[in-house]
Parts: sequence; structure tokens; C-alpha cells
Amino acid sequence: MTDRKRMHSIPDMEAEGRKRLVLIVEDDFVNREILKANMQQEYEILCAETGREAREKIHGYSDTLSLILLDLNLPDLNGLDLLRELKKDMDLSKIPVIVLTADTESEVESLTSGASDFIPKPYPRQEIIMARARRCIELSENRDLIRWTERDQLTGLFNRDYFARYAEQYDHYHRRDPADALVLDISHFRMMNERFGKAYCDDVLRRIGAELFAFVKENGGIACRWGADTFQIYCPHREDYSALAARVAAAASGSAEGRVHIRIGVNPNVDKTGDMERRFDRAKSAADTIRNSLTESVAYYNDDLRQKELDAGQLLDDFRGALAEKQFLVYFQPKYNIQGPKPVLCGAEALVRWKHPEKGMVSPGTFIPLFEHNGLIRELDNYVWREAAQQIRRWKDQLGRSVPVSVNVSRIDMLDPDLTETLCGLIRDNGLDFKDLHLEITESAYTEDSDQIKNIVAGLRNQGFKIEMDDFGSGYSSLNMIITLPIDLLKLDMGFIRSAFSENGDTGMLKIMMDIAGYLSVPMIAEGVETKEQMLTLKDLGCDIIQGYYFSRPVPAEEFEKFIIQEGNEKC
Amino acid sequence: MLTVEGLRAWGANVDEGLGRCLKNETFYLTLVKKAIQDPAFEKLNETCGSGNLDGAFEAAHALKGVMGNLALTPILDPVIKITELLRARTVTDYGPLLTEITSARDQVLALAE
Repeated sequence: MTDRKRMHSIPDMEAEGRKRLVLIVEDDFVNREILKANMQQEYEILCAETGREAREKIHGYSDTLSLILLDLNLPDLNGLDLLRELKKDMDLSKIPVIVLTADTESEVESLTSGASDFIPKPYPRQEIIMARARRCIELSENRDLIRWTERDQLTGLFNRDYFARYAEQYDHYHRRDPADALVLDISHFRMMNERFGKAYCDDVLRRIGAELFAFVKENGGIACRWGADTFQIYCPHREDYSALAARVAAAASGSAEGRVHIRIGVNPNVDKTGDMERRFDRAKSAADTIRNSLTESVAYYNDDLRQKELDAGQLLDDFRGALAEKQFLVYFQPKYNIQGPKPVLCGAEALVRWKHPEKGMVSPGTFIPLFEHNGLIRELDNYVWREAAQQIRRWKDQLGRSVPVSVNVSRIDMLDPDLTETLCGLIRDNGLDFKDLHLEITESAYTEDSDQIKNIVAGLRNQGFKIEMDDFGSGYSSLNMIITLPIDLLKLDMGFIRSAFSENGDTGMLKIMMDIAGYLSVPMIAEGVETKEQMLTLKDLGCDIIQGYYFSRPVPAEEFEKFIIQEGNEKC
Repeated sequence: MLTVEGLRAWGANVDEGLGRCLKNETFYLTLVKKAIQDPAFEKLNETCGSGNLDGAFEAAHALKGVMGNLALTPILDPVIKITELLRARTVTDYGPLLTEITSARDQVLALAE
């Protein structure tokens, strides 16, 4: 039963003038008949004489039951056991239960086991029975209304807004108890959605929700569905979450369709002086460290991660100052056409380096993903484009010639409505030709949002820019799609070179990629080429252009000049 | 024939019992007839006789609920006493209380003939 179903049932009943449904679980005929007689004017009555019958009816009518009146002494089952069973079930626990008992001791036990109220035997006056029933139903329906707004409709867990409030409330009442913040999500959920469809994935999410509900019910704490496939848990501290990961994965994989991989990031023993959002950000950071692992499912936030975050924070803080002070240096790595008898310089790729005043040279592998995540990459890319364009102009002025320079255009840049104007402005302002500036666009940008990106790239190409598809082969494009893309050059993903020339490498895949480029009639560029053997093999396979340490590492503009001058001299 | 007056004269708190039955005499009398046929009477005698105090408690407890609801006081009073003794699993001679219960029940059975 879902909240949605229950919530719909209440107004529906009122609108249709239907009576609410009450289940009387009582083995004794006389007691049962008296209760029935007392209540049937206001309620529709359903009866069960045994625990088993009661269980069946509760499950069968779970969507519409408004109240259960439960005798504790049933012939086949202890009523308290049935009560506890109901309260453990996320859906059934929402149905209020009034216990019927002749014992004062049982009254206390019933209430602590989850009963909403009790009716003593001998029964009190009808008005009292009815008042108690009405109050329980009313409270339950009000709770349902609140639940409707504070719960995620699919899983029944808290939604993100209310989770934050309940987490703070949890802290309020557990000030001195150590607590853990957990973020749980499903690996490759998007792919799963495409493979198995929404209905299957919703079912997986529901099963995960039910398992997390059971976990916090058993161990304390609260859980929510944060969004899509992400869940958060705030609970009493424990040393190890591998058992939780295993049970959630088992529940999620329930059906035979395929194994579901989940990952949990844990921020253990949270610092309660920090804000709640930060506690879960740290858990998320931990989860991100095992993003691509199929063997690890739990990762813990620790001092190393903390240091990395501090470093990242500092880089972000330093970004604008670094731009203003021109700490970002644009290096150039030459590209050589190898199809002739001698390699010929045919271009360069502009690559950014950060000369940090305190940290020295910071690797682009460190700051580029960070800036991509924060959107700062747009400003950095704009800076690199501008520097590259100005440098081409300087070479033209000083050396009388230049080579085409390719610059990276990230997916985020594509969202900039002024992109075309910015790039055209650089050509115009520096007196360049469109062929002087090549644009490298990663393959994954096309596959993520192909139509929109395709249109933007086609527009740039129509202006006259040459388009290079970067990291070709890493983005799982279909051949069918590649044929339709506006591309002038393909730039092979470095992974192909690495794997083809590894110890047990095989160049078969390289050959296929070259054939694709041949079929499309576009030149193929291979980057990351380090040895003569690699260069010659690629040449034999039909690769047109090579970039890599074999010719040169990325170098500052002054150093790159030598390549241009040398090339000019050789031509003379 | 079982009547409300007969039960009142016998000692039942008829007004209380009738109150629970929405003052419907026919309904009340039907339930009384059903109640005095309750197999829990036999079970109570048997289990007490065999020393099965757990079983006896269950039977007494069930009777207490029914007799209480119908306010059949001459049966209810000894049933309450025996229930409390059995709840503590007291080892004692239950004979006198059982006799009292049986005798009171027989009186209603006679009224019902």
C-alpha cells in the first residue's frame, strides 16, 4: 500500500458518502457481535476470528482499512505479535490499531508495541468506544495528510525538505550520541533506466526504500529519498556498514533482471557543530571515491578526503585572483601530419597549466574537473581561447606564419547562448581566419544531449570553424549517429593507444577506428603517442596526425615558436 | 424462556449488559444464550482438573471478557476470582470456585429452557 493510495481513499470515501472500513479481530462471538453492533452504524465492519484470517484481511484491504480493533488472545496467534508485525511493515504500520483487552498489564505493553489506544473489557459505553475509534482514525488521517507532504511518494521515506528538519530534530534529542551521515546511490542508474525501463527502476527504488525503512526502524535514525536514485540516512554511529550495503543490494536486486550495484558514502561520527548539508556533502564525497568500482560498496570520509576538499576549496577561492594575475599559462603541444615521408607540423593543441604562487604547477587533472563541477570552466575556457587567439596573432606578426591551434570547448560552454559570438569575436578582434582556430568538442557532449549540441556545433562549423571530435571512442556513439555529426577531424581517445600498446595489446581496435575515420573521410588524430614504434604502427594503420611526447610535451609559447621556425626553415 | 426480568432476578446487571447491546433486548438475550454455551466453561473445568493452569487461565480469561460484557454478575464474580488466581498460577483447590461458576451457569441454562 502506498501513501498515495491511502490518501486518495479518504477524500474519495467522503465524497461518495462511503463508510470507513474497520476490522474487528476477535475470536469470541459475543464480544465480536457487541462491538460490531456498536460500530456498524458509522463504520463498515469486517471481522476476523483468528490471527491468520486477520493477517490475510489486513493485507487484502490495506488500501482502505481505517482502523483495526485487535483482541490480544487469539486461538492461533498472540495479538501482540501480530501488532508488532504490522508496525514493522512500512505500509501496514500506518493503519491505527486499538487493542481490546481485559488486563491492565497488556494495556501498557500494547501501547509500547505501537497500538494507538486500547478499549478495556468489559466494554465501556458506546459513546466512549466510538470516541476512541473516531479519534484514532482522525489522528491517523491527519498524520497521513502530513505524511503526504513530507514523504516521497514512491518509497514512503521522508522527502529531502522534511528530512533536513527531522535530522535537526533527531540531533536535538540525541545531542551527545555520535551519529553518522550516509549517502547511498545506485551505480549506473541512468543506464539501468534505459535498459530495464522506469517501472523496473521504480520497483528497485521502492525495495531500497523498504530496506532502509527497516534498517532505521531496527537501529534508530531516519532515512530519506534525496532524489532520483540517491538516499540519505542519519543514524546512530556504527563502525561498519558493509552489512547494510549487502542487504540493500540484495533487496534491490530482488528480481532476476540483473544485479544492482549500490554504493554508500559514510561520514562517520559527524561533527555536530557543522551544518547538516555539509555532513552529507562529505558522505557524498566519500561515495564519489568508489564511483567506478564494482567491488567496493562502502567508502568512509576521512582525513585524506578532508584535505583534498580543503585543497579544492582553496583552488576555488584562488580562481579569480589567478585569472586576474594570469597564473593560468597556455601551453602548446604540436601535432604532426605523418602521412608523408617526413612528419610535418600541422597544428597545436592549446592546453592550460596553473602556476600557483604557493602550490607550484597544479595539474589540470586536479583543477579542470573541479571547475567543470562548479561551472567556472566557462571563464577558464574563455581565458584560454583569448590567450590562444592572441598568441596566433603574435606568431603571425612576429614569424609571418602560424599553425592552426585547437582549443577545448566543454559541454558547459555549449550552454552559453553567446558562445558563437564570443568565438567569432576572437577571430574578428585578432584578425584571424576561422581555419586558424580549431574547436575540440568531447564525444560525450554529443551523446549526452545530441540534438541540441549537434545544432550548436553545426552553427559554429557553418561560421567556418574546424570541429575536432575529442576522445573519440570513449562516448559510446553509435556509428549511425557519427555519420550525421558535423565533424572535420576525429581525435582518438588516448585509452585506445594505451591499450593497443600495452603488454598484451592488440592493434585490432585501432584499425577499426581508422577505418571509421576513412569511411567518414575525415582525418584521424592520435594523441598520447610516446614512442617511434607507436608512431610507425599508427602510420601503417592509416592515422593521419600524431600528438604526444614522441614529438614534444606541451610547451610554453616561446618554446613552441621553435617548432614553427624549424618547420618554416625546412620548407625553405 | 429466557427473559430480561428473569436474568435481573437471577442477579445479572441487566441494564449494564443491555447498554452494551444498544438496549436491544432480543440481541442481548441471543448473546446470553450463546455465552452460556461457551465451550470455555468445559475447558476451564477440564484444565483445572488436569492441573493445566495455562490452559485454565486462557479459558477463565476468555469467560471473564464475555461474562463481563453481558454483565452476568453471578458468573462473572467467581470467574474474576479464578482468573486472578490462575494468572498467578496459584496451586490451590479450584473446586469451590468451579462449582460456583457451574452452578450459576446451570441456573441460566434452566432459565433458558
